Amino acid sequence: MAEDNIDHESKEFADAKEEMDALVYESLKGREVKPNAIFAKLSDLTRSMPIRKKVINWSRVNSLWPLQFGLACCAIELMDFGSARIDAERKGYLLFRGTPRQCDVMIIAGWVTKAMVPEIKRLYEQMAEPKYVIAFGECATCGGPWWESYNIMKGIDQAIKVDVYVAGCPPRPENLFAALMKLQKKIGGSIESR
Amino acid sequence: MPITRINVGPVHPSTHGVIRLVVDLDGDTIENVEPHVGFLHRGVEKLVETRMYMQSTPYMEKLDYVAPMSYNDAYVAAVEAAMGIPVKERAQYIRVILLELQRIASHLLSIGTLCNDIGQMFTAFMWSFKDRDIVLDLLQEATGSRMFYVNMRLGGLHSDLPPDFEEHALNTLDYLEKRVPQYEHYIERNPIFTERMKGIGVVSKELAKNIGITGPALRASGVNYDVRKNSPYYVYDKFHFNPQVLYDGDNFSRYKVKILEIKESIRIARAALKSLPEGDALGMPVKLRSPNPKNRISIVSRELPRGECLMYLVADPQRPYRLSIRSPCFINLAAISHIAKGERFADLFGILGSLDIIMGCIDR
Repeated sequence: MAEDNIDHESKEFADAKEEMDALVYESLKGREVKPNAIFAKLSDLTRSMPIRKKVINWSRVNSLWPLQFGLACCAIELMDFGSARIDAERKGYLLFRGTPRQCDVMIIAGWVTKAMVPEIKRLYEQMAEPKYVIAFGECATCGGPWWESYNIMKGIDQAIKVDVYVAGCPPRPENLFAALMKLQKKIGGSIESR
Repeated sequence: MPITRINVGPVHPSTHGVIRLVVDLDGDTIENVEPHVGFLHRGVEKLVETRMYMQSTPYMEKLDYVAPMSYNDAYVAAVEAAMGIPVKERAQYIRVILLELQRIASHLLSIGTLCNDIGQMFTAFMWSFKDRDIVLDLLQEATGSRMFYVNMRLGGLHSDLPPDFEEHALNTLDYLEKRVPQYEHYIERNPIFTERMKGIGVVSKELAKNIGITGPALRASGVNYDVRKNSPYYVYDKFHFNPQVLYDGDNFSRYKVKILEIKESIRIARAALKSLPEGDALGMPVKLRSPNPKNRISIVSRELPRGECLMYLVADPQRPYRLSIRSPCFINLAAISHIAKGERFADLFGILGSLDIIMGCIDR
């Protein structure tokens, strides 16, 4: 987990926030702001705390953007997941992005060698919060058939936190669909989250 | 101009796996490409030494995860050569059918991903994955698994073909035969694709021979070499087919050879299906003790979808003493630092995609 060392409560930042607010109020002084209807409605909704949480969750659940990142065999099934037969777009999963900065879900598809661990950690840390990880396949879950190999990490959960594990070698594309639905339930609060 | 150094990978959407390329650029022109491999190394050759002979077949399949059955077949053939076990005739025919179907599936995937990288032809990607799924359904029917079929046994197969497999397979092959010209029509009339493929990344005949390139990449450079034809195994000498040879050696011929090979594979599979003999196809069941090897050293050569694979097996009783694998992808990758010199940076991924490398096969 990327715990940044910057102290947001420090004096310097507090001053910056005040300055920023003062500037905004200054620029809006004497103007009539016409609020956008949608945002006005959203802001009405989010005024009370429980509903606000619901709205945020609703938008998170329905826009999961996975990272386009494949390691080994399971990446072929990941590609199949993105192709014609499964039609994953109907649930809003299929916006595979090339950069971690735009993504919510990281799917670890394949065995994790010791050489790849720092790279995966770096990708994970580049993703914006909230971020979720799916360990796709046996190798990412526990090392799988490479348990006795000298160069394999026995499960990616030794390096980063994992939300959903998918069994299979390799799991079928339908299985990834089920995993993402499970993740949606977890984000929506149906399953006890970590 | 000062030389710029750009680092590509190890995680990049277009490299088809975790490979790191260090590219030296003069403006937009590539001066040098240095591939760094080893991000997927897991020591297969060492693991095989700790296992019994038939326990290692799943490891072999994970070497080339786009065409798993081909590697499985190469390893089992090496063990059969060491033990001196003949393959039953019906099993030979069935292996030829399944291997050719696997070759079709593998070439379809490689064409689809190449088109996705070059010119954003996502339609070709969708088409090829749809057709690949149909072929995989057929293989699933025959073996029981979708991607990793551990169905080769010593002297035969794990199970015979299901009763209505022939009919299904012939229907699928008819469908694919109609489908392949549509690919050609769609892909080759796209001006972006042809502009970025023709005349780029030329491998000359001499260079190809010197490096040791094999498979479609070699035949695209005008060398008529195919293990299936030059030293036939199983029943390949009973069928009429021609290795597909083109003479330009550029990206486009490497793509075109794959299209032509799909057509040849359809012909071979159909001929094998029509002349499938009756009889027993079951191989030796996997037991705790395997028969003792007769030959100490055995070398087996097989034509995989990506090139020639050699299995060098030094046999001990019960388990291999040493298994050395000549991976076609590793040697084909060596061409990239020769042919990418002088090309534009944007064309690097066209060259990489047309060489058709699989990182699991390179790193082992």
